[in-house]
Amino acid sequence: MIDYLWLLIALPLLGALTLIVLGKRIGEPASGWLASTLVAIPFIMAVILAVPFAGGAETEHVYVFSWIPVIGANASLLWDPLSALMALIVTGVGGLIHIYSIGYMHGDDRYPRFFGYMNLFIGSMLTLVLADNFALMFVGWELVGLSSYLLISFWFSKPSAAAAGKKAFIVNRIGDWGFLVALMMIFAAFGTLDFAIVFARAGGVLSVGMATAITLMLFVGATGKSAQLPLYVWLPDAMEGPTPVSALIHAATMVTAGVYMIARTAALFELAPVSLAVVATVGALTALFAATLAVGQRDIKKVLAYSTISQLGYMIMAVGLTALTAGIFHLMTHAFFKALLFLAAGSVIHAMSSEQDMWKMGGLRKYMPTTFVTMVIAWLAISGVFPLSGFWSKDEILGAAFAKGGWFIGLWAIGVITALITAFYMTRLIILTFFGEKRWDPDAHPHESPSTMTIPLMVLAFFAAVIGLWNTPVRLGLEHFLEPAFENVTQVHALGNLTVTALALISLAVVTVGILLAYHRYGRGELPAEDGGYWAAALDGYGVDDLYGKVIVAPGKAAATWLAMIFDVRVVDGIVNGLAVVTKAFGSSLRVLQTGWVRSYGAGIVAGSLGVILWLLLRGGAF
Amino acid sequence: MNNASFLAVAPEVILLAGALLVIISAVMLEHSRKEWGFIAGLSFVVAMVLSVLQWRAVDTLIAEGNDLLFFSARNLPVLRLPMVVMDHYSAFAGFVLFAVGLLGLGAAWRLVERLGSRGAEFVTLVLLSVAGLHMMTMSANIIVMFLGLETASISFYVLAGFTRERPESDEAAVKYFLLGSLASAIFVYGAALLFASTGSTSFYGAGGMKNFFVTTILGEPGVLLLGIGFVIVGLAFKVSAAPFHQWAPDVYQGAPTGAVGLMAAGVKVAGFVALGRILIGALPSQIDDWAPILAIIAGLSMIIGVVLAAVQTDVKRLLAYSGVSHAGYIMMAFVAGVDGIGPMLFYVTVYAVTLVGAFAIVGVVSRHSSGGSPIEDWSGLSRRSPEMAWSMLILLLAMGGIPFTAGFVAKLSSFTAAASADYLWLTILALLTTVVGLYVYFRIAATMFLNAPDEDAPAIEAPTPARMTIAAVVVTVVVLGVDPWPLLDLVREALPL
Repeated sequence: MIDYLWLLIALPLLGALTLIVLGKRIGEPASGWLASTLVAIPFIMAVILAVPFAGGAETEHVYVFSWIPVIGANASLLWDPLSALMALIVTGVGGLIHIYSIGYMHGDDRYPRFFGYMNLFIGSMLTLVLADNFALMFVGWELVGLSSYLLISFWFSKPSAAAAGKKAFIVNRIGDWGFLVALMMIFAAFGTLDFAIVFARAGGVLSVGMATAITLMLFVGATGKSAQLPLYVWLPDAMEGPTPVSALIHAATMVTAGVYMIARTAALFELAPVSLAVVATVGALTALFAATLAVGQRDIKKVLAYSTISQLGYMIMAVGLTALTAGIFHLMTHAFFKALLFLAAGSVIHAMSSEQDMWKMGGLRKYMPTTFVTMVIAWLAISGVFPLSGFWSKDEILGAAFAKGGWFIGLWAIGVITALITAFYMTRLIILTFFGEKRWDPDAHPHESPSTMTIPLMVLAFFAAVIGLWNTPVRLGLEHFLEPAFENVTQVHALGNLTVTALALISLAVVTVGILLAYHRYGRGELPAEDGGYWAAALDGYGVDDLYGKVIVAPGKAAATWLAMIFDVRVVDGIVNGLAVVTKAFGSSLRVLQTGWVRSYGAGIVAGSLGVILWLLLRGGAF
Repeated sequence: MNNASFLAVAPEVILLAGALLVIISAVMLEHSRKEWGFIAGLSFVVAMVLSVLQWRAVDTLIAEGNDLLFFSARNLPVLRLPMVVMDHYSAFAGFVLFAVGLLGLGAAWRLVERLGSRGAEFVTLVLLSVAGLHMMTMSANIIVMFLGLETASISFYVLAGFTRERPESDEAAVKYFLLGSLASAIFVYGAALLFASTGSTSFYGAGGMKNFFVTTILGEPGVLLLGIGFVIVGLAFKVSAAPFHQWAPDVYQGAPTGAVGLMAAGVKVAGFVALGRILIGALPSQIDDWAPILAIIAGLSMIIGVVLAAVQTDVKRLLAYSGVSHAGYIMMAFVAGVDGIGPMLFYVTVYAVTLVGAFAIVGVVSRHSSGGSPIEDWSGLSRRSPEMAWSMLILLLAMGGIPFTAGFVAKLSSFTAAASADYLWLTILALLTTVVGLYVYFRIAATMFLNAPDEDAPAIEAPTPARMTIAAVVVTVVVLGVDPWPLLDLVREALPL
């Protein structure tokens, strides 16, 4: 069965092709179900193929076809516990979101096209995580960028959606540039792009400087895709896409590609302590920075967007600490609870006829009980309340930072503060949405969503609650599962039981404080008027977009205008036109020889022969 | 004589038998056009299968230590001249030639139907010409090669003038015949001089040319050098390399469109394979003599082909000049010696297939009785017949050497071969002319996609055989562009003995 691993990628891509070409004929509910089936089958296959890893099965390299063997880049897939786990998350969470979309996208003009793009994304993401070499990984990397662009600007008739898609694409190009440069350096150093060879030889081949250069470039790629400082700006805008897209791509899967990539290439990062420090620090700062922004948002999806950036910061920090299992663990729990938060938020938006402003919600718990209950579970999970999933994974990261000691204790402190802010803004979101007065438009008629939407919510809620128990300090299930994938890397682990318990108690206390503060501020009748000062700045994203606009975009546009209007027209076109003119003039003069007379053609042949004879005479030494 | 010797000539036998059957059926049966097509198509398919069997048989023959040379005069120990060789090289070339023949027949089918009872002669000539072309590739003796060359050439002279009612067609045939005879004469003269200097007409065997240079160092190589030069000139004419190319545009334009694709593609394959047989098979030791000649001819072909293609207003003439430049790109692979054989075979295969497809599309698009295909005919083709426009676009991209078409891989491997043989100037020239070539091809593409169609433009109707040819070519070009490795591995093994 492992020989058919390529079906995991092929089936969703086939679905994408079918739905994009024939979608109109397949029609509304059918195309949604077709797309969901083509994600469900890979999920089932992934489950069957992943089970042997629990019994300690070997890593598999599945050769599909030869592509560019000279540079070690074949269409060859890697099936180890890490890629298996990623494939399970992508197809599992992805499949649920597909089913949810069947209800959510109901009535959209381009319903089949939406599912075509969603399938394209799943196929691309699976290419990224299953690739057995850097080249194929890059193919997946670019394809997820493409499908992300298509889906963000899915409602492209809205100018803001079109602009958001463009922004995401362009900002990601910067990251892709870094990744590409890293690839070239890796090829220059190793002469191949094959994972197995590169990682096995890394220690012997790379100097510390070279390793640092390569890994920093890889990290540039990761900051783009995983929305880290300073390239995070595209993610909040990406919320212009349909909500299932936000859940699937901009929360659960694609944005974690950077985390996955660093974990996959940990053997290189290990050789470059400087890079690791940069990664961990950027992750921690992003976590804190984005959390402070999440507090001030009024749009429910914007809160979740900044929250995602913040949580990704945790994961990046974890892989930077070489606490790879912790990072992947948080990636997994986050995939469940953040997808759930987005889908539940989508359910609310759906019920409120596309209202996203939390100031115009309130008191919704009675009208949508399922959404309310599932979202509460997600809230507790992300806040890190014992014993839900977020508690275990976040504490493992914080424990790793603490265990590393030295100045990493500072990163731990940042993480703890972030946890407090996280609990605060999530509580704020829940209270503003579901409790208190009804502040909505009297014409709105909130209602519970259809079962295609609520069932995925319940499944996700179940996992968001319990998945953390897979890897607790008492029973390190995930750690053992992932062991073969990270066997070449020395990981950081949390300290002994006493410290772990103490740290857990500290973060629980901090979380409690966060929740109580939020309750104190929002839960007691009158809402505070949040305007001016910090609130205005946060709504504006601290003006980072404006800053980038002035410092980078404006000069860039001016340069592009100069290139297009002056340089291209005068110099490039000049050269090209000149070449064409010269060629044509030359051609016209040669054309004179083409008389159409046999005798002149015969003379041509004789003249050519004479030329050949002349050369041979010279060569033979006749002169 | 043994079984393998039958297999060595089996494809020729099949094609000749097919040709006879077509003539007989034309005499015996009335309205038997479908049967001609069936017989000819089947002959080509069987010949292709036989090529595959030949390839396999060569492996066994080598493994068992048997000879790959046949029909040597064993009773005369002094001479021992083999006439025919069956190696991977000839088997590969055979497969390509028969496939080109099949595709070309598909492209020409509308012409055959229009010709009425004379169609049988046309089909017969197609079969005979391909048999001749293959004979060139499997010859172990320069006289056999000449016989093959003439068999093919005479068939092509007739095919070029087949639509006798059109004066352009007659003119093309006469021109082709007169100039072709001159080139054949030069080739024979070269063969005679080779015999004069080496004492053999055979390439292989104990008394053959290859062996001669192993045992002998010529003090006065003048006769040999002239022989090499004239043989090169003769074959360079056939593959329309500059400065021996001038016949090509006139003949391509005047000859019936249905026949041109097969003529142009088939003769390029056989011509280059024969050149490789002589130079790499028999005269590898003289590479320093012949490589510079080929390099200069290749360079001239690239420049002249591309520059003159840029000013053409007729697509058939444009393809003729583009063919001159492609002859240059193919020829440049030879300067790498035996390492250039693989790239040469790859390029010539891809180009031949592309060319047959392109002329099939020309035949569909241009139905003028004058035989030309002025570029105005192509205006707005994307709206008149999107499938033809897109197919042509893919073939043009392949000729231009755009990635993800087979043309890119072909150019890449040929250029790499020349560069690794230290012919850097040639490689750079090839790159520059490739860029100019893109202008040539995009001009047609722009006409097809950007210009509005003429009001009174005739409707495009593609007969099924032409459609099948075009589809097969487009698929081949794209598949080989995405995954060229199987073919690249194959041509690496297809070396002349």
